[in-house]
Amino acid sequence: MATSHRDRCAIAGIGTTDFSRASGRSELTLVAQAALAALEDAGLTAQDVDGIVRCDMDNVRHNDLVDVLGIPQLTYWSEVGPGGVAPPGMVAQAVAAILSGQATTVLVFRGLNGRSGRRFGQSALSEQRVGGAGSYDELFAPYGLVTPGQIFALMARRHMLEFGTTEEQLGAIATTCRARANDNPAAQMHAKTLSMDDYLGARLIADPLRLFDFCLETDGACAVVVTTVERARDLRQPPAVIRAVAQASTADPQPGIQFPTLFRESITSLPATAVSKVLYERAGLGPEDIDVAQLYDCFTITVLMQLEDWGFCEKGEGGAFAASGAIGLGGSLPINTGGGHLSEGYVHGMNHVLEGVRQIRGSSTSQVPGAETCLVTATPLPPGSGLILVADR
Amino acid sequence: MTGTPRLLPVTDDVDTGGFFEAAARGELALRRCNGCDAVLHVPRAYCRACGSWEGRWEPVTPTGTVYSWSVVEHAVHPAFPAPYTVLLVELDDLPGTRLVGHLPGRPELRAGAPVIAWFEDVDGTVVPQWRLARS
Repeated sequence: MATSHRDRCAIAGIGTTDFSRASGRSELTLVAQAALAALEDAGLTAQDVDGIVRCDMDNVRHNDLVDVLGIPQLTYWSEVGPGGVAPPGMVAQAVAAILSGQATTVLVFRGLNGRSGRRFGQSALSEQRVGGAGSYDELFAPYGLVTPGQIFALMARRHMLEFGTTEEQLGAIATTCRARANDNPAAQMHAKTLSMDDYLGARLIADPLRLFDFCLETDGACAVVVTTVERARDLRQPPAVIRAVAQASTADPQPGIQFPTLFRESITSLPATAVSKVLYERAGLGPEDIDVAQLYDCFTITVLMQLEDWGFCEKGEGGAFAASGAIGLGGSLPINTGGGHLSEGYVHGMNHVLEGVRQIRGSSTSQVPGAETCLVTATPLPPGSGLILVADR
Repeated sequence: MTGTPRLLPVTDDVDTGGFFEAAARGELALRRCNGCDAVLHVPRAYCRACGSWEGRWEPVTPTGTVYSWSVVEHAVHPAFPAPYTVLLVELDDLPGTRLVGHLPGRPELRAGAPVIAWFEDVDGTVVPQWRLARS
């Protein structure tokens, strides 16, 4: 398969707000701040933007930003979802728009008041009768299965049953991400260390998952600017070249967004199995070529399964791989170097894209020396997306 | 299940209503394709295997085994005070086909433990439930 988009576009600018539990600002203000920061980082202004890609769950729309930022004219906009699988897919839309001549400079963003506004960990079900209309909630919610954390708890238990995965192995992921956050002043958990004893001593939420197996709740926004590599070379920052992007589904994703995924043939792997195959092929790279990875970490078990499904170890060995130190700084595959969703903040996959760019620029607070390839994944439950960034050579 | 108010299912959805109609008759039924007998789960009208739009609700033996479980210790919905246990049940008649269940508290569980369905009537809405079989 010829990959016509390989190495042709780049992320030229990144911008973020602070990450907090109570921003005191509207989501529109957060996104506008992140977008302006990304443009400033690239040496561009709102005058230069002609494309916008958003996440389907964002409350901020393209026309909001056109008006608030003073973008003269958009010639392209689109959205990707559901939710957390979007960010690399959003960058993929930007690449497609640019290479098809529909836009030259695309703003990609995600912003949410994830703690002070609607909280993901709370059941959204407020009716006495639930389900119908294609949601399939009627087969799940009446049994008390009402949150993503409970789904991943069932998957984690099954992974333990099939492969002997342990709580300590999940804990190795939580403590590794926390150590990266301790190095990152922008991380929500920057000042709080996490030992294995802390991890194991924390309260159970949905067993076998404990408090620190869950990602943070965050108010914040992140944005990136995508343009051609040629143009990015003339801008303020060294380009983070987009080696390849991919969205991919499996043959049995199940309808809906999350609960029916428990009826897939396997609940110990994720659609990362499909996304990884397509992305590696498009990139002409394999897991052995990845210097550093930002793996979507709504929960620790999500990371553990992705270590397997992205080919960094065999199926069933994700726990041992994580506990070996391989995912730490200095390991064979340092992950989530800003602290990830578990400890930096939960901007629904988008902060992972920014951290990937920092690694390619050499500006991460947990910089992997000489990193030239960074994988960014967004492969939790639904069919997902991923991208590989490389240094400009 | 304990606690009020209850969270009851929509029972008249075009694609899934037959599951609850069967439950009201005291049967555990899954959607099957009339063209090729494929199990259509979660229930849907079209069979991707043979292209048929014709299907039926076929009763299965109301027994299964525990495939996975989680003791929920942190309550997130007023209808479900913690602790309670969410079950993933694999049906004996259709290996690989699963349903969800609920057990109160923190029962002693193991993978493969046998479970039996029963039918709970909550003011006329019948919901299939599971209990541990004492075998």
